[in-house]
Amino acid sequence: MRTSRPVHRPWSLPSRPLVACAVACLAIVASACGRRAEEAATKPLPAAAGSGSQAATKAAAAKDQPPEPFDPPALADLEKSVTWIDRPVRDGMAILRAEQAKQPAAVPVAEALALENTSADRNRTILAALGRLPAEGAADMDARIDRHVTGDLGSTNPIMISTTAEFDILGLTGFGLFSFGRDLEPFASAETVATWQTSVDGLLDKVVLRDDLVWSDGAPITAHDVAFSYQLIMDPRVPVPAVRSGTDQMRWVHAYDDRTLVFFHKEPLATNVWNINFPVLPKHVYESTWEADPTLKDSAAHVKLEEAPVSGGPYEIVERKRGQQIVLRRRESWSRVGGKKVREEPFFREVRFRIIEDPNTSLLALKAGEIAEMVLTPEQWTTQTSGPDYYRANTRVTAPEWVSFHFAWNIDSPFFADRRVRRAMSYAFDHDRMLEKLCFGLYQPAAGNFPDDSWMASKKKLQPYKQDLDKAEALLDEAGWTDHDNDGVRDKEIDGRLVPFEFSVLVNQQPLRIAICTLLKENLEQVGVRVNVRPTEATVIQDLTQKRKFQAYFGGWGSGTDPDSTENIWATGAGRNFVNYSNPEVDRLYVEGRRELDRGKRAEKYGRIQEILYDDQPYTWLYWRNSFYGFSKSLRGYVFSPRGPYHYSPGFSSLWMPRQE
Amino acid sequence: MGTYLARRLLLGLLTLVAITFIVYGLARNMPGTPLTVQLGESDPSRKLNPEDQERMQRIYGLDRPWPEGYVRWLGNVLRGDLGRSLSRKQPVTTLIRERIGPTLLVSGTAFLLAWTLAIPLGLFASARSGRPEERALSLLLYVLYSFPTFVAALFLQIIFAVRLQGTAWGLPLFGMTDLPPDAGTAARALDVARHAVLPIVCQTYVSLAYDSRFIKANMEEAVRQDYIRTARAKGAGPARVLVHHAFRNTLIPLVTLLGLSLPGLIGGSVIIEQIFTWPGMGRLFFESIRERDYPTIMGLTLLFSLLTLAGQLLADLLYCVVDPRVSVE
Repeated sequence: MRTSRPVHRPWSLPSRPLVACAVACLAIVASACGRRAEEAATKPLPAAAGSGSQAATKAAAAKDQPPEPFDPPALADLEKSVTWIDRPVRDGMAILRAEQAKQPAAVPVAEALALENTSADRNRTILAALGRLPAEGAADMDARIDRHVTGDLGSTNPIMISTTAEFDILGLTGFGLFSFGRDLEPFASAETVATWQTSVDGLLDKVVLRDDLVWSDGAPITAHDVAFSYQLIMDPRVPVPAVRSGTDQMRWVHAYDDRTLVFFHKEPLATNVWNINFPVLPKHVYESTWEADPTLKDSAAHVKLEEAPVSGGPYEIVERKRGQQIVLRRRESWSRVGGKKVREEPFFREVRFRIIEDPNTSLLALKAGEIAEMVLTPEQWTTQTSGPDYYRANTRVTAPEWVSFHFAWNIDSPFFADRRVRRAMSYAFDHDRMLEKLCFGLYQPAAGNFPDDSWMASKKKLQPYKQDLDKAEALLDEAGWTDHDNDGVRDKEIDGRLVPFEFSVLVNQQPLRIAICTLLKENLEQVGVRVNVRPTEATVIQDLTQKRKFQAYFGGWGSGTDPDSTENIWATGAGRNFVNYSNPEVDRLYVEGRRELDRGKRAEKYGRIQEILYDDQPYTWLYWRNSFYGFSKSLRGYVFSPRGPYHYSPGFSSLWMPRQE
Repeated sequence: MGTYLARRLLLGLLTLVAITFIVYGLARNMPGTPLTVQLGESDPSRKLNPEDQERMQRIYGLDRPWPEGYVRWLGNVLRGDLGRSLSRKQPVTTLIRERIGPTLLVSGTAFLLAWTLAIPLGLFASARSGRPEERALSLLLYVLYSFPTFVAALFLQIIFAVRLQGTAWGLPLFGMTDLPPDAGTAARALDVARHAVLPIVCQTYVSLAYDSRFIKANMEEAVRQDYIRTARAKGAGPARVLVHHAFRNTLIPLVTLLGLSLPGLIGGSVIIEQIFTWPGMGRLFFESIRERDYPTIMGLTLLFSLLTLAGQLLADLLYCVVDPRVSVE
């Protein structure tokens, strides 16, 4: 089993604004095993948008080289020649508190706790009543929360991580300068940053750190740590698995003094704001150890650090039992420095991540009160969490999430090169039956690659495709796929050979996905096309799609916080462009979108991309999947973003437990 | 005896090389590499650029043909180095060392329990063959044998870890211990024991059912032999006939079975370890395959093959002990 990582817990984000790196992930496939099954297909999205395929190409050109040495201008010269624009420095928690002060709870907590979540109305009521921050003194500041993770950590070193569980924990123990809110708008975190400015030409970002920051070993956190981390991440000797990209789009990062940092960009891009966000290591700890062991994991010193890393965030790791649990404790020196309260204390004294891979066991653990939260699969939501045994100690909520699923058509295969054929596929499929019968009416239909309510979506209100077999047949006829040999299967002469329209669709071994592909098979048989449904292990699907060796597959993506993160799906030759889609206009629009700094004008570019994709149908888009969460009745304060309840600011930090009466 | 042993050991060595060669070839030729897995899990907007991918390929040794990789692996093994896990970044020997204890705790206990119960049950069943109590027992054992462990595990969890939670009968749902590392040794031992109860029960009942049926089947055969009739005729008591005359003659297949169960003791159970989040070898093996973690797959393959061969050799040698008519010469 792949210990899959839930889609919902992307790596990304920091629940406290702190984590530096907002990485996120999507995977087309999901995991093989149990639980994620459903949710799987994708992992959520990127918070980080930085690098598109072009960017990647550029990075590639940089080879295994560290950034060219750069002689930063003196700060005084910069100040003379540069006009700065102030950028937002915000406190995610304060924003949420202000929002909630304006909307008093409609229903008392006790009433919401007694509700069974069986309708959209009740779901709203539960979220509105239980998703609130505590009144002064109402939270139990000694509480411990048991969180569920499905896999163990490979590493606790912030720059060496790549999995969801690792990013989840980094979100609480890592030091970061930037984050983003529920609206996915980036800002500098008021907990760590005093000011943030960008030059008028967009080539520089200047950040002044607060002066009351310390690592868990007592040393001050300074701008030099950030600049050091940048150089470490970019050093080719250090095998950084995930966080180099994006970071590699910068020219240089320079610390002028303990608090002042300037990020030098290669180009003025709308996505620079994501690239300046990377994990930070304590310079005083690693500067003496890393050169002797650039793997950061082999030497005795690094082995020790791996077990007990120096933390820059609100929590530190106090116990790590491999394959079982990771325990974090709130650190005093985060909120109090020099005997003075400088930041809000996190609500939980202890956060215990419990590793449970089996989805049935984790649901039982929730029912037994061993864990206080978990991601539910759609099956669990529909059939296993509606009885009194579940509601005794728990409640559940659902919310839309920016994760969509699709059939992908390999444009290089003889079947799907013609867009009329791809549109025919979309018209032949019975979307209504899938949504109502197979997905239990839990999901919204998808009309394209951006969510309808997002700023980057087309304003034309594109309608999701509906089944229309006549249209599908007409399109197939038009494209030359007719039944020449009267065997009931359409065919076409290609290179002098009559090729029957019969293809395979790869799908992860999960019941819902297989059912959806089987429905496609039945539908296409009605128009004379034969489909073989091929349930396949996740890694094999990944391998085949990366090598472009497939005809069609069922997949999913989370959408990123920035639409530029989808460039590597649609740009010609890009890394995630498994279907070999190529449209010069789309390529151009992505480049323009990245260079355009005005949000309104950017939105037009991405809206246009969505319209082109809608017409071309390189995918048959199916649905946007909700996230489903089970929460203990003792938990409060969960508020959902399009990336779930944790991965934004304040995210996890807004959760709390009431003081026992 | 000496030449026999030497021949067997040499044959075993060749078998070992063949097994590891084939498994290495199969593993390296499975679609996907550790890098595919890593790419699939990484943030797509922060994908590795081609140079980084090449560098990781080199680090993982994927840039060379697999037979060369095998030779390098074999060379390292001969020098006592099983390599380092690609996905967990720890030496394979460390991983195995961490996991072997928990697995032995469950499978060893289950093994002992199953056999201490299976032998009397099997003898009882052959003594009472055909009577209602034996039919009832057989039915029960068949039911147990047919009952999938993953379903049984779930029922046990629901009953003992959810319904009876908070009572004296309550047992932990998953994991190996809930206590902090600073708890006392006695308290920790007790806590681990409580956590081990359900996995042990799950692993015991299936083999108990199988083993006792195995004994009964062999006994059925033995009790029809002439020497049993002779024993009865000369006036030996029923218990003595059963144990002394019949059972002793069924020891050969039993020893074979015991020998074959040796690798299983160390290998653990993927399903049970997965359900109970038990940090054992079964889970490690399964995960390493999913992650295409070649060094771990090979380390475990080597260990399991060694144990299988050793178990067989041991069984063959034990034949001489349990049956004086057998000789290795």
